[in-house]
Amino acid sequence: METIDISYASLAIGLLLLIIPLFYLWKFKTGLLWVTVIGVARMIVQLFFIGVYLKYLFLWNNPWINFLWVIIMIFVASQTALARTQLKRKVLFIPISVGFLCSVVCVGMYFIAVVLQLENVFSAQYFIPIFGILMGNMLSSNVVALNAYYSGLKREQQLYRYLLGNGATRAEAQAPFIKQAIIKSFSPLIANIAVMGLVALPGTMIGQILGGSSPNIAIKYQMMIMVITFTASMLSLMITISLASRKSFDASGKLLEVMREKRERNILY
Amino acid sequence: METDTILQIDDACIAFGEDILFSGFCLQLHEEEIACISGQSGRGKSSLLNAILGFIPLRTGRIIVNNILLEKATIDQVRRQVAWIPQELSLPSEWVKEMVQLPFGLKANRSTPFSVDKLFEYFSELGLEEELYDKRVNEISGGQRQRIMIAVAAMLQKPLLIVDEPTSALDPDSADKVLAFFRKQMRKGSAILAVSHDQSFAQGCNQMITL
Repeated sequence: METIDISYASLAIGLLLLIIPLFYLWKFKTGLLWVTVIGVARMIVQLFFIGVYLKYLFLWNNPWINFLWVIIMIFVASQTALARTQLKRKVLFIPISVGFLCSVVCVGMYFIAVVLQLENVFSAQYFIPIFGILMGNMLSSNVVALNAYYSGLKREQQLYRYLLGNGATRAEAQAPFIKQAIIKSFSPLIANIAVMGLVALPGTMIGQILGGSSPNIAIKYQMMIMVITFTASMLSLMITISLASRKSFDASGKLLEVMREKRERNILY
Repeated sequence: METDTILQIDDACIAFGEDILFSGFCLQLHEEEIACISGQSGRGKSSLLNAILGFIPLRTGRIIVNNILLEKATIDQVRRQVAWIPQELSLPSEWVKEMVQLPFGLKANRSTPFSVDKLFEYFSELGLEEELYDKRVNEISGGQRQRIMIAVAAMLQKPLLIVDEPTSALDPDSADKVLAFFRKQMRKGSAILAVSHDQSFAQGCNQMITL
């Protein structure tokens, strides 16, 4: 069962639906009208661009090129994380790149080689979507967690210093803040997992069913995707915090200035 | 009877950039002694405590805690010798019973596990009711919180107890109870270093130093 293509004319007809949300954004003077129009235009351009390069990735199906794509994606994700957390490059860039790389490789490869037992582990049809979804989820959950971690440390300096001054190791003093970061970042995901399928069909399943898979296969992939994204997100967060903490505190354990100077909020990210 | 020197400060100077808070400061505090440092605001009293805890470096001089010279490599070791109550401590715990157990979860404090009975014994000496243990932190006053954390610090049974303004939120009666409590702890072998504006508290100590 091939998926029905959407012609450019049909696409345009579909885009007309946006008139409804745009109308209300305008009516209530939300100030978001132009941001939205620009955002949609960017989405269209970006997705077409991605469509082109994915076509070639699938065509060539070359392991080296696929892996290069992962490296580029990690670089872009790390840049995005820097922008969304406003942390200094020297504090975060390398730790989060290492965190992403290790997690995506370990968890992604575990799924493709051990669970799916694919002969060609670099096969674009599996490699690209799996690594892509892992990167996307790791980025969004790690940004929330890192923001919670560092803002918690800044806000509850008294707790941190009290623990240190009363004999805590660095890890023990950081633990309450890592705890808060994990809770804030993973509670939505955990809640989601619990009601998966009850409220709405999850994204992976929709994609697979539209693409022609039987629901039976689609549900198994959905379960696996939830498990690997949860695992990769947690693993990358732990690696990132562990490495970033080395650049975040001075010799006496005091929190350094880790935030970049405040600049105007950049809508690009 | 010979008592050990628990805290020794030689020729200490604390400065921030060009601004010298104090210099040439010396102190020797033995087991079973209480020293009180007083002085006007901004003269560096809290900075001195921060320096002993390794949070800020001395410009010159040295600090020795329980025979350990304070330097980068020994900061963690020195902190394990100390029970510290900062000024106006505000911790993010919701319940008093959470707040009092915070330092007992640390590896360094495993040898002195938390005991409710001990806590209530100290509560009674400090004029606190046992009911406070079941309350929320925002239901108790600053003065009660201050005394509760003093009890907690004493329970840790460290060689050196450092307390910043132990009676600032207390009426004279409660302040007397705190001084009596410290004197009792001192007789059990602790060395106590306090910073306080309170003249009557300072006069109850073995050493009074003005910065």
